[in-house]
Amino acid sequence: MQSRTYRPAIAVAVVSMLAGCASAAAAQAPAAQAPATQAPMNMATMDHRGGIRGTVRGANGTPVADTAVTAVNTVNGARFEAMTDAQGAYALGALPVGSYNVTVLSAGLTAFRRQGVEITADQSTQLDITLDAASAAQAADAERQELLQQLADLKQRVADLESNTVLSEPETRVRRVEVFVDASGNEHDEQVPGSKPAVTYRRERVYRRQTISEKIEEALADAEEHSVGIGVDAAITTQFAKRTKGDTSLVDKRAYALASADLFFTAGIAQHTVFFADIVALSGAPPDAEIPRLTLLNGYTARLVRQNELNLREVWLRTELFGQRLALTTGRLDLTNYFDRNALSNDESTQFLSDALVNNQMLGLSSNGTGVAAEFDPKNGFRLKFGLQQSNTDATSLSDSMYTLSEAGYTFTPFALPEGTYRVWLRTDNTSAATRKAVGLSVDQKLTNAVGLFARYGTQDLDDDGRDHYFSAGLGFQHGFIFNPQDTWGVGFARMKMQSGDRETLVEGYYNLLLTERLRMSFHLSHVLETPAGGEQFGYLLPGVRLQAAF
Amino acid sequence: MSNAVRRIVIGTFIAAAAAALAGAGLEAQSVKITDPTSVVMIVNRDSNDIGFMDIKSRKMIGSVFLGNNVNPHMVMMSPDGRYVVTGGTRANKAFIIDTRTLQLVKVIPTDIAPEHLAFSPDSRWYYQGNPDGDSISVIDMQSLSRIKTIPGFAEPLNVTFTPDGSKAYVGNYGAHWVGVIDVRRHELLKKIQIGQIPGVAKLDPSKYLGEIKGINIAAPSIDGRYLYAADSDLAVVGVIDTREDKVIKTIRVGRDPWRIYMSHDGKYGITANNGDETITIIDTRSNSVAATLEAGPAMTGVNFAGGKAYVISSTSGFVYVYDMSSLKPAGRIRIGTNVQLETATTDAQDRKIYLAESTNHEVVIIDSRDNSLERVKNVGLFPWGTHIMDSKDNYCH
Repeated sequence: MQSRTYRPAIAVAVVSMLAGCASAAAAQAPAAQAPATQAPMNMATMDHRGGIRGTVRGANGTPVADTAVTAVNTVNGARFEAMTDAQGAYALGALPVGSYNVTVLSAGLTAFRRQGVEITADQSTQLDITLDAASAAQAADAERQELLQQLADLKQRVADLESNTVLSEPETRVRRVEVFVDASGNEHDEQVPGSKPAVTYRRERVYRRQTISEKIEEALADAEEHSVGIGVDAAITTQFAKRTKGDTSLVDKRAYALASADLFFTAGIAQHTVFFADIVALSGAPPDAEIPRLTLLNGYTARLVRQNELNLREVWLRTELFGQRLALTTGRLDLTNYFDRNALSNDESTQFLSDALVNNQMLGLSSNGTGVAAEFDPKNGFRLKFGLQQSNTDATSLSDSMYTLSEAGYTFTPFALPEGTYRVWLRTDNTSAATRKAVGLSVDQKLTNAVGLFARYGTQDLDDDGRDHYFSAGLGFQHGFIFNPQDTWGVGFARMKMQSGDRETLVEGYYNLLLTERLRMSFHLSHVLETPAGGEQFGYLLPGVRLQAAF
Repeated sequence: MSNAVRRIVIGTFIAAAAAALAGAGLEAQSVKITDPTSVVMIVNRDSNDIGFMDIKSRKMIGSVFLGNNVNPHMVMMSPDGRYVVTGGTRANKAFIIDTRTLQLVKVIPTDIAPEHLAFSPDSRWYYQGNPDGDSISVIDMQSLSRIKTIPGFAEPLNVTFTPDGSKAYVGNYGAHWVGVIDVRRHELLKKIQIGQIPGVAKLDPSKYLGEIKGINIAAPSIDGRYLYAADSDLAVVGVIDTREDKVIKTIRVGRDPWRIYMSHDGKYGITANNGDETITIIDTRSNSVAATLEAGPAMTGVNFAGGKAYVISSTSGFVYVYDMSSLKPAGRIRIGTNVQLETATTDAQDRKIYLAESTNHEVVIIDSRDNSLERVKNVGLFPWGTHIMDSKDNYCH
């Protein structure tokens, strides 16, 4: 308590002492500043102003008459002017106290400039001016500096104006929050005795300054999120078939073209739940219509149901459960799309065109049907998949046409190589009595960042104790040996060996050119050698071009 | 001694002691932070403040309000621990906070929309990037004044000083070059082109003429000799030799790499490729791709802790984890549903990650030993980023 009363007392004393000193100094100041050479101002009429007086002379010392001497207040811009008389004398007699820039114009140009001339109360400052080359140069430099400063000020003001062109209104957001509700139904932010946690939604306002473009972008993104997305994947493949071996009765030197268009619809309909529909239409004639072969020479042919008609290819719902570790897809599916997704040979729209290098031929199933696919992916490299589907659209019950696939996959970086994915799968199908089970392997392993190796193997049981075999392997190139950065190319080899004695050997190379983000063109060259059981071997060379647009 | 004299002596002694105690109390009250390494700084975009959280107690020990509609973007402490600075994106100003007292000591005009920033190693220069002004504001931390604005950039996002502080490298997101600044003169010396535009670009005006997504940052190798700069449009990482200031290798990575993040041991750099939702791991010894692994959407950052890489997927609510010894995926951590994750910093012990989660105004602490989570709520509105002095993962969006 003592200090509280004591300290202010000291402070008051110190302040009083300082004030006294200041008063004494102020009282002494006028006497000390009074100029001996200048007449005192009329204190009654001059309002405690000051002045500037002097002469203006030329370089040779002659008086400069009828010339304006201007003084501009540096703070408020107030402008005062006086004319020189015949002797070159001038007087700016009643300038408010402050700092002034004094200039003299000669022939329209600034011939003299003195910045920061201080005017004090009741005093007249003597400023004799000589208009010579040095003063003109000084004046020009000072004017340039002033102009630059004005430009900088102007830029700053424009910048401020630009940055202020924003929306400053409060932004409203809604949050999902946990609150606590007591027995009386009162809501609390913190837990109180007898309260139970409950979830509610709460609006909050924040003061965030947004530019108009940010606001528009947000609105567009929000609209897109709530709309149905539409996508198109269209392709036209042109192939030419030249017989290289075999019976002359077989077709030769034929051209083929097949156009395909997929229309996709996607929409988010619930938390982590998506609706998808794919409508496809095909038109044209693929080489598979004329050339007898074990596998499709144009992978798009698998989509062909009826020409020039719209067909519902897939329609399904996908939802993610258990912390999005388990994805369930149910509806009309092509189950083979979800299995054996080899990174280097699984897409007829951007990679190989021959179906033998797109799908493992032992997966079977060529028709889409109702089914469900489950994928468990804990994002640690392991993946487990299971799916079942109706495999015969004419079947009267699912029990009579049950097609299932199971797969285990693992992604890792073996032997100091880049990443590779290794899969093993099992297929069952009760539709056909002849081929009920099949197993397969699939590998895609990067050797470098530019080169990847792929390999597939599959075999299926036949009821007559035999087996069908399929094998394919090849290389894919992504970031090396290419014309443009996003181009890809690859070479592959596939072989089918059927228990029936039929054989097929196929090689294909392709180069896929990314013309734009939405347009690709690829060149293909494949050769197929067919050996029918008990028949004559024949072969075809098939150059082709594929143009694909996806957006 | 007479009673009167005794009273005067005792009274004087008591008064002096009381005055000293009062002074000491004032001093203790004004000092908020005695150890600059003991706090996590949190930049809160919508409450327009910088929050300070004690690392040990997880308590908010203070916040500095910057002004309405300032919308600060990135916070950083000077290497000497004396000041904390931030750029107010919508105020066009730099804000200087005294670390010990948490007083806002100076507000300095910059160019338009200041976002990311960097300090010279000696703490003398604070370079503030102004993406909308296409410039760098140079702030002298001795006089606390802007001494220069370096023009000529194209949406400069991040600045990297060389270890000796003689040069600074600027990633230009609106161009495909890295700017080299002579720090002694604060002048743009050179533009290092990271990659060439492909010939087919003219066929794709919607991609190449609509908007440039160029270089976010030139990130240094552990010895500072090399810089790694990812170019989003070109999908490459250019390796720059800082002795000659030229690109010595170009590495192709996944689509739309947002930027590259360097591991703490210097062995790897990771690009977050938002175009194909992958990460590319680059081996810095061979300057080649070691692996390209699946990741999540809208990645905003990569942190390293406990021998693992933590990749923040802002819109999915997940942090993806990768084992950096085997270079394979190691699961993902669910931070929340319908939440937006921003950026994070790692503590100086490389153990815990402090992740800003803006939807619920919280900082989520990930313990790298077991990937367990701890939440610190109500840190401010829309926490946008975090920062710890001496952390090796101090970055922003």
